[in-house]
Amino acid sequence: MSSRTTGRVDEMSIASEPRRGVRLDKVGLYGLLGVAALIALFPLLWMLSGSLQSLTELLSNDSFLPADPQWGNYVTAWVQGELGVYLRNSVIYTGSAVIGILLVSSLAGYALARLDFASKGVFTFVILAVMIIPAPAMFLAQYKLLISLGLTNNPVGYVLILITSGIPMSTLIMRSFFVSQPRALEEAAALDGAGPLRIFWHVILPLARPGLAAVAVIQGLGAWNEYLMALVLFDDNSLMPIQRGLTAFTSADTPQQQILLAATTISIVPVVIFYLMAQRHIVKGIGAGAIK
Amino acid sequence: MTTPQLAVPMRRRRPPYGRRALRRNLIGWLFLAPAIALIGIFTITPFAQAILLSFQSWDGVSPDTPWVGLANYDFVASDPIFWASMRNVVFFGVVGFFLGNGIALVMALAVNSVARGKTFFRTVFYLPGVLSVVVVGLLFSFILAPGSGILNRLLGLVGLGALQQNWLGEPAVALPVVAAVFVWFHWGFGFLLFLAGLQDVPKELYEAAELDGANRWSKFRYITWPQLAPVTSIVSLLTLLAALQIFGTVQVLTNGGPGQHTMVPTLAIYNEAFVNWRYGSAAAMSVIFGGALVLLSVVQLAITRRRSRA
Repeated sequence: MSSRTTGRVDEMSIASEPRRGVRLDKVGLYGLLGVAALIALFPLLWMLSGSLQSLTELLSNDSFLPADPQWGNYVTAWVQGELGVYLRNSVIYTGSAVIGILLVSSLAGYALARLDFASKGVFTFVILAVMIIPAPAMFLAQYKLLISLGLTNNPVGYVLILITSGIPMSTLIMRSFFVSQPRALEEAAALDGAGPLRIFWHVILPLARPGLAAVAVIQGLGAWNEYLMALVLFDDNSLMPIQRGLTAFTSADTPQQQILLAATTISIVPVVIFYLMAQRHIVKGIGAGAIK
Repeated sequence: MTTPQLAVPMRRRRPPYGRRALRRNLIGWLFLAPAIALIGIFTITPFAQAILLSFQSWDGVSPDTPWVGLANYDFVASDPIFWASMRNVVFFGVVGFFLGNGIALVMALAVNSVARGKTFFRTVFYLPGVLSVVVVGLLFSFILAPGSGILNRLLGLVGLGALQQNWLGEPAVALPVVAAVFVWFHWGFGFLLFLAGLQDVPKELYEAAELDGANRWSKFRYITWPQLAPVTSIVSLLTLLAALQIFGTVQVLTNGGPGQHTMVPTLAIYNEAFVNWRYGSAAAMSVIFGGALVLLSVVQLAITRRRSRA
């Protein structure tokens, strides 16, 4: 860079200039990263701080730290907002959806990767094609369909929608995972006389753990954060997942800001812990889902 | 275990007809059956039903859905709210695409080039991406609140009090502000993919370029950028689609206001159905808007495929 243009000065400056340039670059680079990290984190840190303040402090202070942490806000949020119910529902819905998606998409992914049967191309095309149908084009009709099936305000209906929306991408991830696996074990099991379903269950699935983990974390995050269908399908507070419950709490009880901040903090605790623990899988899963 | 020698050649020489073929097909179909059944019932059927519903009138309750021909489309064609939402969402798309992906790429390059703290920055940068639209909406509705909102107080504190305003209430300001919140929320996704893509670029290419005396810009221009092309095209499509389908963030943050200045199509469709009880015209909106999104995906995928073949 700049060192090249001043190449004719004495040896000292030639030797030292690139180094200073590198150091300046580094400072600039870390400065940029630091500012970006601050912008990413600030709203969350403010939420945490605000959730521990009293309302008057929250609306007036300029120190950004709670002078006297109001842990009671969390109790109020939990009780008044019925967060226990919503969180329990979310855990159930997310867990069921993830298990369903793993089962259905690993079966389908295995078939597309390994089995040989008629109209395979058609099925592959269908699974790819439905990925481009966007939610805004469907959610109304899905609602209408669930009414006619008697599945509105019903966990089963909601979980089935969650599973279906996760299938195409997960199937493609699982397919590319199975394609990359060696065939030796399956062939050995087949020689031992095991049927396809038994091979799948006892040989394939246990080996597919990395692929399953990637699918599980990505779909788990998606299901936990789903909002549109939860909004459309649930009127009954006792059945709402956490995202829907938060908006119900906001509009029905008009809680004070600090209580709502405590409620949102509680609602993100599971997902943030999960993110920090399963990060590796998340990065891999997002990459696999988008690129394959 | 007694007949492996027999089983191997028979398995390999699959006859195209007969019971063995039927069995093979059945096994394949069986493995696919749950996926195809669910997609058929909960994706393809509603997709077709939405098109049907757009030619009918439905109040959301009654079992009758009388046929009304093109009346819903006529209604939507002259509905100012829907077209305002379409204009706004183009803005979200452009900002999400250029600003969001620009930040994502620059930060991926930055993180990729530092020796220390890679994991920390990656973790922090994607953190907003694991939040829900509801949390982001609620959080920023407080941060951006007029008067006592923390952003206004911060501006006052650093002597920029002149910039204080009602961020979500001013017609001219609300749309860019909501778009900025969207970028804050979503840029981590493109960032993660770009970063993964950068780590896959073969190091030898850079080494060879350095031997040839290439500077940083030409290394980016002639190695990094072309090597990232597949990632760039998929990130472009996915962030564009995400921006165009924005719903929850807007609903919680502004509910389309002030006026219709931050209205987006998905929210317009939702309101038309669940607030105005006009499901038919909501379905017509979803067909128009959904059709446009499908078209966009098809075009983008076709371009990508042709480019990768060339």
